[in-house]
Amino acid sequence: MAKRAAPRGEKRPAARPHQHGKGRCLHILRALSAYIDDELSGTICQEIRLHLGACPNCEDFVASLRHTVSLCRHTSAPILASADRARMRENILKSARTR
Amino acid sequence: MPAVSPPHSPKDRSSAPARTQKNFDKLYRDHVDLMYRFANRLCGETEAAKDLVQETFLNAYRGFKNFRGDAQVSTWLYAIAARACLRMRRKRKGEPERELSLDEFIPTSEGEFRLQIPVDGLSPEEALENKELRQALDAAIDKLPKKYKMVLVLRDMEGVSAKEVGTIMGLNERAVKSRLHRARLFVRRELSARGVDGTTTTHAETYR
Ligand SMILES: [Zn+2]
Repeated sequence: MAKRAAPRGEKRPAARPHQHGKGRCLHILRALSAYIDDELSGTICQEIRLHLGACPNCEDFVASLRHTVSLCRHTSAPILASADRARMRENILKSARTR
Repeated sequence: MPAVSPPHSPKDRSSAPARTQKNFDKLYRDHVDLMYRFANRLCGETEAAKDLVQETFLNAYRGFKNFRGDAQVSTWLYAIAARACLRMRRKRKGEPERELSLDEFIPTSEGEFRLQIPVDGLSPEEALENKELRQALDAAIDKLPKKYKMVLVLRDMEGVSAKEVGTIMGLNERAVKSRLHRARLFVRRELSARGVDGTTTTHAETYR
């Protein structure tokens, strides 16, 4: 996969060289649900954003996680037909009286 | 059956069984669609979902007196359904009941970082019109071990808060979030590994 430039255009401070070590990415991976759910403090968010801007793999990863959650949120479910609704009510009441 | 004494106005002189039935009918009318949706998402198919809904409302009917009104009715019903679902035998394929560890979700090759499915430039609704994608998502969710699936369904599909999911499942919020994260990573990995062809939608244009 070709390396891309950080799309957000965020510049890392030179004093904090980006660690391409797996450990850094792993640390980010652990926090990603909290990150996309906006539950992290500003400092940690900033830290993650900086990493994402410099690490295409993690950036792809967070995008794919966001997509996954977004798909889950938008799935539809079948609607109960009114005949089924009435039949099930009868079944429940019958069981409630006999058992 | 134990006597049921739900709250009622002093003017209500109807018999206890009649009152019970009246309360039940209101409960059923107001929440059956919500429970059916939840059950479908948990069970992945309509017949099992109908069984679960009936089991849920039967238990609710019997447990009326245990409902104290300090939680929302929907929370109470979700909890009854969740317990009933855990009791129901899992007939279908799927992951055995096991713990998911974070380590197993770390991509090991470059291609695994992104989804191999047509979602770029599409709204989630548009993306889900792709039948193959919808099936892949359903299959991924269905494969989750039950206790992870339940958290994902409640939180990300039913839109229940993490705190409320904790109440429903008897977990603290931290445990809920930890399970949710692993469940999402699991589904993400399934969608990334499987690969769905974009040709069945009209506007699935991957631009990378
Ligand atoms: Zn990284």
